[in-house]
Amino acid sequence: MAHEASRAGMIRNVVVIVALWEIIGRLGLVAGGALPAPSGILLQLWADRADYPQHVLATVSGSGLGFLIGNVVAVLAGLIFVLMPATLRLLRGVNIAIFALPPIAIAPILNLTLSGMAPRVTLAALGVYFVTMSATVIGLSQYDTRSGDVVRAYGGGNWMVMRLVRLRGAVPDVLSGLRIAAPNAVLGAILAEFGGGGRWGLGSYLLGSLGRGDPFRLWGIGLVATVIAGLSYAVFAIISERVLGTTRSVTLNTAIPAPASALSPIGRLALACGAVLLPFVAWWAFVTFTGVPDMIAKTPLGVIDYLFVGDQSAIARQKLIAALAETLPVAFVGMVCGLGFAFLLAVLAQMSPAVIRAVMPIALFTQTMPLVALTPLLVLLVGRGYAVTMWITISVTFFPAFVLLVQGISRVPQSVLDLPRAYGATAWTEMRKVSIPAALPYLFAATRLTVPRALLGVMIAEWLATGTGLGNLLNQSRGYLDYGMIWTVASVSVLLSVAIYYAVLEVERATLKRLGMQMVE
Amino acid sequence: MGALPSRFLQPITNRSARAAARGEGISLTGVSKTYRGRGTEVEALRDLNLDCPEGSFTALIGPSGCGKSTALRISLGLESHDGGTVRVAGKTPAEATRSGLTGVAFQDAALLPWRSVRKNIALPLEVLRRDPRAHEEQIAGLIRLVGLDGYENALPGELSGGMRQRVAIARSLITAPQVLFLDEPFGALDQIRRRSMNVELQRIWLETGSTALLVTHGIDEAVFLADRVVVMHANPGRVVAVIDVPFERPRTPDLFSMPEFHRLADHIAEVLHGT
Amino acid sequence: MDRRQFLGTGLAGLALTALPIRAAAASPLAMQAAWINDAEFSGYFLAIDKGYYPENGLELTYLPGGPDVIPESTIIAGRADLALTTPDTTTRAIAEQGAKFKIIGAQYQKSPHGIVSLKKNPIETPADLIGKTVAVPPVNTMTMEALLKVNGIARDQVNIVPYAYDPTPLVRGEIDASLDFTTNVPFTIGTLGEEAHSFLLYDHGVTIFNDTVVVTEDVLKEKRGDLVAWLRASRRGWEENLVDPAAYPPQWADTWFAGTGRTIENEIYFNTAQKGLILSDAGVFAMTDESIEHNIEALSAIGIRATRDMFDTTLLEEL
Repeated sequence: MAHEASRAGMIRNVVVIVALWEIIGRLGLVAGGALPAPSGILLQLWADRADYPQHVLATVSGSGLGFLIGNVVAVLAGLIFVLMPATLRLLRGVNIAIFALPPIAIAPILNLTLSGMAPRVTLAALGVYFVTMSATVIGLSQYDTRSGDVVRAYGGGNWMVMRLVRLRGAVPDVLSGLRIAAPNAVLGAILAEFGGGGRWGLGSYLLGSLGRGDPFRLWGIGLVATVIAGLSYAVFAIISERVLGTTRSVTLNTAIPAPASALSPIGRLALACGAVLLPFVAWWAFVTFTGVPDMIAKTPLGVIDYLFVGDQSAIARQKLIAALAETLPVAFVGMVCGLGFAFLLAVLAQMSPAVIRAVMPIALFTQTMPLVALTPLLVLLVGRGYAVTMWITISVTFFPAFVLLVQGISRVPQSVLDLPRAYGATAWTEMRKVSIPAALPYLFAATRLTVPRALLGVMIAEWLATGTGLGNLLNQSRGYLDYGMIWTVASVSVLLSVAIYYAVLEVERATLKRLGMQMVE
Repeated sequence: MGALPSRFLQPITNRSARAAARGEGISLTGVSKTYRGRGTEVEALRDLNLDCPEGSFTALIGPSGCGKSTALRISLGLESHDGGTVRVAGKTPAEATRSGLTGVAFQDAALLPWRSVRKNIALPLEVLRRDPRAHEEQIAGLIRLVGLDGYENALPGELSGGMRQRVAIARSLITAPQVLFLDEPFGALDQIRRRSMNVELQRIWLETGSTALLVTHGIDEAVFLADRVVVMHANPGRVVAVIDVPFERPRTPDLFSMPEFHRLADHIAEVLHGT
Repeated sequence: MDRRQFLGTGLAGLALTALPIRAAAASPLAMQAAWINDAEFSGYFLAIDKGYYPENGLELTYLPGGPDVIPESTIIAGRADLALTTPDTTTRAIAEQGAKFKIIGAQYQKSPHGIVSLKKNPIETPADLIGKTVAVPPVNTMTMEALLKVNGIARDQVNIVPYAYDPTPLVRGEIDASLDFTTNVPFTIGTLGEEAHSFLLYDHGVTIFNDTVVVTEDVLKEKRGDLVAWLRASRRGWEENLVDPAAYPPQWADTWFAGTGRTIENEIYFNTAQKGLILSDAGVFAMTDESIEHNIEALSAIGIRATRDMFDTTLLEEL
């Protein structure tokens, strides 16, 4: 019943939002009509209907193939990681690097080294790999140990437990991973289309249309991209809901999982070294394997040479540092604002579920709307100063954090909430004692997860709107055929993401340990 | 009694075939086990000796943390031990479980939520790489035996707690085990349902005639079901007494209210609490 | 066209984007264009449609470009034999990175790049840019810097922001001018209800070509004959196309221009406007000694050490 009511409320809110949008659009209230009315967008969509099928088909086939390949690899990798935990440690560096890759920095590299559909497929596959891989690992790890015992009690080995218990038990987790991964694939494909030079694809269409000065069409393309991403999300959400009922154990497993087998210090050191080195080895192998000339494709040594040894290295370093000085503060402030705002609203929403119902549709909408499609629209709305960068950074960090926080807080059992109330606590006390501490681990998890997104958001804004910082440096370097700089920006942005990720992780560990709380994966 | 198809009963009731295996129930000799964590050591079992003759029903009782479940898990090869020897049906635990000589039911039914009752019961067969289709009759017989006719294709989520536990009992019998391990199989049930399950378990066990080891918290349950009650103490886990239960079989629910029953139960409680 | 047909062509279009135009026993040659399919490449579309490449013994693969496509990269990576480039980028890569490129022709005698503003707030000369905000595609920053340098304006006197080829900010007055093709964007501005004003960079000291035909030295050595054939077929396509710039674009609405989101009127405008920038007394693609000299002068103003030997006019001489 409550579920039904909240769904009805959600629908009502969507209707209200669309109606408001229509009025605002009709009256040209925002940015001199840069936000067109939905009805106008639909009319334009209808007028352009002949253009869409080929573009949609190209984007869907690119992202679909990438989605398929990325997920097959991710599930297999997750399986191997769980069966052989040492491999997970060894590949941690590669995994984190893939997670932290800002697609915008990688797209030019893929377009330099691969051809045809390959860059789109690769970028889409990279976008889904981490999400699905970690969902698979979590799903396979958190199996019902009691069922595992039954299998072992009949002499079943690890593989038998995997086959009979864990694989099927992981299905809901994998599905929820796929659900989140699907929009990533669409975003990846569109980003690669920007630089792929193919005729077809929503990214190509968007670029061709940018010069037309027609906000109705821009929004139309943005909406179509959003619908594709949203549909792929919905498909897996529905399947996942169906499957969950027959997967969740009826009773709660209270057994404490056995600690992972300890490794010798030497083994641990070897694995850690391997984890750090492997991403660079993979980079090297990729460059060698694609067989692209040295002038275009830089190896790790090539980048070091470019940045520290070559004749132009001083200039390159200067440019890079200047760009970082522009990008990092904005990214940082934007992230802090986005996360802080999300935290505040999520905690408030705990007291008033109406807030959640109002914000969730917008949150889901902007989450599935590809950033590249959103940015030109935001430029029209707020101009191209720091405001647009801040807006983008806040929106890319706020919504995922908000969704995660709301989910986290809603897991607090009712009895825990009832307790302070039973002692006559005020709303503020209740929030301070229960909601805020309960949300804290999720805030950290959200921070870790949104670091690469924040960097991506800032770089897209810089590239398309402000003409500053790393995003602009990347773009300009292409104009100068400065391949060394393209690779440098890509590797520096990945390294930065990884570094910030680990910094947050350390703070998180220390804080949660002090508070005696569990980390959220 | 006699409700089982003869094919099901055959391997267990064929006493002549079992004669060679006489004296090969469960035997743990001088078993010790220490858990080592970061800087802490917990001696779970010290010099544990436990002998369950073939065809007997032994109850292992003791306070939480006395190592009774650990002893059972060691016998099943689910955990390693540091010293001593363990023999189940004359073999090492790994050999015994792998050859399908054992059956087990845990405190939680631990049914796979996506499998029907029938398929859950067939799970051990799959683990032992036997063909479940060749055992359809046994499965049907066991479903009848535990009184779940008509629920063959139900999912665990559609069953009550007691019904799920009966599925687990049926599952523990599907391999026609010589040795049956029961780790607090009714621990999650209420007192009333637990007693009726005890009566049923006795009936089923009598039909199979296997060697049974029951780990339990409940003195009533231990006295009602077992031939011998083994009392353990914690820190370190060790056996402090073995008490014979002399009541005739089959035992009926009336036994729960008889003075002899209560006298024995009180005695066990005293040993248990060390008074 | 019904839906099924449409999906069919969609699939085909997807698979065939980079498929060669077939001809028996012809030499394969791949060209990388500088931009998405628009009137800028009309001459090649016409030559492909009329079979001028097979007639000259070529099996041509046409690769469209886009804002993120660096044409020079495609030929370095060996995915195309020749590319249409901007000469400043190419000569800089030769001079500073030792890239082994040769420029063998120039589509535009005068680069169509210009400063586009609104008539109601016109930028008439480079000097008018001082204190104004100009949107410049990041890949053309060098070109903009050249204009400022040649006209004695300091880089920090003008506010340069990135340009995504969208005229809306200009029409809305958010920026004062943009660096764009004068052959193209004024039309769009017109459809948005404003009148555009523009001047060519070429007329203010940035005397450079555009869509220079560039090959690597290796390709020049190995495929010299094919390149001459390509120049011959392409020249024919261009000459025929420019006889009546309004004649061909409508024929390509469902082929070359399908799905670009641009109108055919726009392409006709473009095709008409570029006529004077392409045609030369010495023939399409010509590079006279005088014009090469102008290029070298303009490029040296922004510190690019362009030299005469970067331009190879011997292929044109064979035509």
